[in-house]
Amino acid sequence: MHCGKYIKSQTVKLCIVVLHIDGIRSPLASRCYSHAKVETDEEFDARWVTYFSKPDIDAWELKKGMNTLIGYDLVPEPKILDSALRACRRLNDLASAIRILEAVKDKSGPHKDIYPYLIQELQPTLIELGISTPEDLGMDKL
Amino acid sequence: MSLAKPAMRGLLGKRLRFHLPIAFALSLVAAAAFKYGVTEPRKQAYADFYKQYDTTKEFNNMRDAGVFESVRPTGE
Repeated sequence: MHCGKYIKSQTVKLCIVVLHIDGIRSPLASRCYSHAKVETDEEFDARWVTYFSKPDIDAWELKKGMNTLIGYDLVPEPKILDSALRACRRLNDLASAIRILEAVKDKSGPHKDIYPYLIQELQPTLIELGISTPEDLGMDKL
Repeated sequence: MSLAKPAMRGLLGKRLRFHLPIAFALSLVAAAAFKYGVTEPRKQAYADFYKQYDTTKEFNNMRDAGVFESVRPTGE
């Protein structure tokens, strides 16, 4: 997204607002005038898959990772979630596994097509690890 | 039938890029509407009232009504 488009006098304020939200399309940590190398989506995904794949990941790291991930302006890719669910399995933490599913459903916001897609992609993992979805448990209703 | 991959990144950014300029514009419109619908007519009403205001006549009316402490009504 070319930032020069926003440099008009009445929308300079808007540009600053947009820059302060990590919501600029594709690269996550991008500032219009920085010379820093921009991480691609694939690199970002790979980094997070690696994070959750640590064999001796501990409960704190799992929570911290998930909370950080949820803070971004994106819904995590199925491969990242797969890695996180396997980390939950290693930690014997079924509660967190189900919570992760609830979290990504919430992250999708008004976009109702994202969650069904994620469940579809994660189905083999959910079956293998024996994870019930919130819908299976009736936890999606108030 | 398997679902296609939807857009999953930058959803908030997209929403803000759409809604913030509109919000900004609507706020300016609201401010302008209030200024020209309320404050300017109000200022004009005051100006019109005081254009033809006879201070001496009104003072004497108030004086005769007995609302002052510093001056008694005329004739007392």
